[in-house]
Amino acid sequence: MQGCNRSQKIAICTVGLPARGKTYISRKLNRYFNWLGYKSRVFINGNYRREICGTECNSLFFDPHNEEAQKARSDCAKMALQDLIQFLKNGGDVGILDGTNITKERRHQIENELKSSFNGIQTLWIESICNDSKVIQNNIRLTKINNPDYCNMNSEQATIDFLNRIKMYEQIYETITDDENLSYIKTMNVGADIIVHQVFGFLLSKIVSFIMNLHTYPRPIYLSRHGESQYNVDDRVGGDSDLSQLGEMYADKLADFFYQEFPTKEIKNDIIFLTSTMRRAVHTSDVVAQKLEIQPLQLKTLDEINVGICDGMTYTEIAQKFPNDFQERKINKLGYRYPRGESYLDLISRIEPVIFEIERSRQPVMIIAHQAILRCLYAYFHQNEIPEVPTLDIPLHCVIKLTPAAYFCDEKRVLINPQTGEISIKEEYVQEFVRSKSKQKSFIDL
Amino acid sequence: MQQYKKTQNKLILVLVGLPARGKTHISYKLNRYLNWIGYKSEIFSIKGAQQNNDQLDQNIDYELEIDPTNQQFVDFRQQLSFTAAHQLVNFLQNDGDIALYNGLTSTKLDRQKLKSLFKEKLKLEYQVFWIESICDDPQVILNNINESKLSRFKEKTIEQFMNHINVLAQDYESLENIENLSYIKLINIGKLVKVHMLEGYLCSKIVSFLLNLHANNRQIYLVRSCQTEYHLLDKIGGDPELSVTGKQNSQQLGDYFIEELKGNKNITFFTSQMKRGIQTAEIVGDKLGIKALKTKNLDEIDYGICDGLTVKEIAAKYPKQIKERKANPLEFKYPRGESFLDVIHRVEPIIYEIERSREPVLIIAHVAVLKCLYAYYHCNQISEIPNIDIPINCVIKLVPIPYHCLESRVIIK
Repeated sequence: MQGCNRSQKIAICTVGLPARGKTYISRKLNRYFNWLGYKSRVFINGNYRREICGTECNSLFFDPHNEEAQKARSDCAKMALQDLIQFLKNGGDVGILDGTNITKERRHQIENELKSSFNGIQTLWIESICNDSKVIQNNIRLTKINNPDYCNMNSEQATIDFLNRIKMYEQIYETITDDENLSYIKTMNVGADIIVHQVFGFLLSKIVSFIMNLHTYPRPIYLSRHGESQYNVDDRVGGDSDLSQLGEMYADKLADFFYQEFPTKEIKNDIIFLTSTMRRAVHTSDVVAQKLEIQPLQLKTLDEINVGICDGMTYTEIAQKFPNDFQERKINKLGYRYPRGESYLDLISRIEPVIFEIERSRQPVMIIAHQAILRCLYAYFHQNEIPEVPTLDIPLHCVIKLTPAAYFCDEKRVLINPQTGEISIKEEYVQEFVRSKSKQKSFIDL
Repeated sequence: MQQYKKTQNKLILVLVGLPARGKTHISYKLNRYLNWIGYKSEIFSIKGAQQNNDQLDQNIDYELEIDPTNQQFVDFRQQLSFTAAHQLVNFLQNDGDIALYNGLTSTKLDRQKLKSLFKEKLKLEYQVFWIESICDDPQVILNNINESKLSRFKEKTIEQFMNHINVLAQDYESLENIENLSYIKLINIGKLVKVHMLEGYLCSKIVSFLLNLHANNRQIYLVRSCQTEYHLLDKIGGDPELSVTGKQNSQQLGDYFIEELKGNKNITFFTSQMKRGIQTAEIVGDKLGIKALKTKNLDEIDYGICDGLTVKEIAAKYPKQIKERKANPLEFKYPRGESFLDVIHRVEPIIYEIERSREPVLIIAHVAVLKCLYAYYHCNQISEIPNIDIPINCVIKLVPIPYHCLESRVIIK
């Protein structure tokens, strides 16, 4: 639900030493905002520095006493901020500045620049603090070693250099204090402690909730449609039909698959098992539930898209009875709303609480639902663009296992033959359009 | 009972803080919210234990008036605090889901004792979350005393209350990480919030809820969309437009609000995405010079297969459903449609919006949806929802004040 005044811009700035998860938080927030329908972008100080100063910078470049380097870095940071301001002026809603911003002076400059460039902008500072050396080492291992800055070093050299870089920053680090009069959130040790200061407003409150629930546990999310339904066989939309014979067979094979996937009782009890309230999904889930001895939660939020007056018709019938609507939907499948029904955009809005709940969970998540709904869920975690949602491929009789990691999402597709139980696995399944996105032109383009 | 997620574990919310810090207010709000979203929740306090005990002088505030030299007082207070804790344990051992505790929790020792009591007496899985309210703004404390204490103890003065509080403040110990408790500290009504070791779905939800609370007593206006042709034909559901009379009534509504809101354009203004809601809101909005936010969350309950039928037709075609609905009106779900419980779930984000708003709120929606919103502010049990009366052409004005909600209704002619 979007309750914010669109004319009010939002700028979010990160604060923290390197390897504290600032970029992770920035990306997650960016994803969340774009998903909710806001125009959001991340501006990474580090990327500007790489573009302009090159990637051959070792830790000495970050020495606070290295005046020349300091000036260069300061100029890069200013550019990032200016680009953010321009973005907001040209129709952007949320600008996220991903940088260390560890001195009061720097924060003061940025806050002033933002406040003076706009008539009523909301700024939010997010400081990530971490004293747990294990977590920091892990962060470095997962994200820094593959960093373009270290393409000429081996991982051991890279780690040493990076730790030196952090030491440089530590010399001048000033944590946010209340007298700076900033709206801020401090998250410490991956959410063990959170401090919220002067954060008011619809969207900012949502951000606080979102950040409180962020974690980096790599838990798997299993998505599957119900087994083939009677309406699938007849090629009809909507309705609340039950499973066909083939669908029932799939339910059995699906239960077997999950039984293998979750061998121990501890794991089973921890699973978050969600389904819709429609017969075909409930029926499929019940078979799985019985085999695993766990209970699914039936959520109306996961019910299939409401096709309104077209309920129970085939596409041919719709084309005949409502030719205008049929055409409209072809042109704009995303925004088209079935009369007395829903659009994909409505769906995206509808499932937001479920997404929140999945983000929050540190345990495996299992969802048995419907095509349109799963398209939305899949798109969110797989980082597809919203316009792609209505055409994503979510076939029947297939389990999609997503494992979101720090900056990307692993995917594995398990196609189960309902009759034979034969399984064929597609690892690293890539939807066509995703491939083209990876050809970045510069570091600044995210 | 349909809930988003039923707690596996019982939950105890313990309130910490000096008097006049809003603990009772917070517990009251939370309790109301938790019951509304479907949990069985209750508050256990020294005050409550006192009210249940006829032998005690009801004019003494055992929470507040502590005279450390009067051993009898001190003992009574301890006793009441323990009684409340035992009642809490009993509640959870039976069918209670969530219990809020407002008793002796001001020192580390008190808290350790309480923890031990729960550990000893509760024979099932449970989670404890501590909620501390801290305030050093003298104006706020003064307001709190005025609004909630003085009305109960008419012979006391503000000075006397302040003295009592100062005595208690001497031994007060704020929550510390070393106590190993999962907590949230609300400082100066949410200007500063500290959260430590937050765990679990429900606690997360509670934190989100608490972040939105404030102490502004602002008005909430609930209005139905105006008359449509369906009204005249006695049909339910559908997405009809306003009738001519409906449009006229919307104009009158607009006039009413011009007077009522006195030019305030900062109000929070919501409507549904149904034609009658949008049209009513447009006419009213034009008069006020503001635009309503349209959200599908405020759409009328989905009548499923009964949509568009008249009341008589439904009685004829679906007598079984009518019987079912009579038997259990709250949980009854129209086939292929929704139940009131579904509507509550759908409307929850709106409640957050209303709570968050410090300006007046105007909501133009539909019968079933408004029943659910109204129940949040006014009903102790959601089973009362189906019987709530939300007449057309009537503005229901709610003003939540500490521990209560004022209501007035104005029929627009």
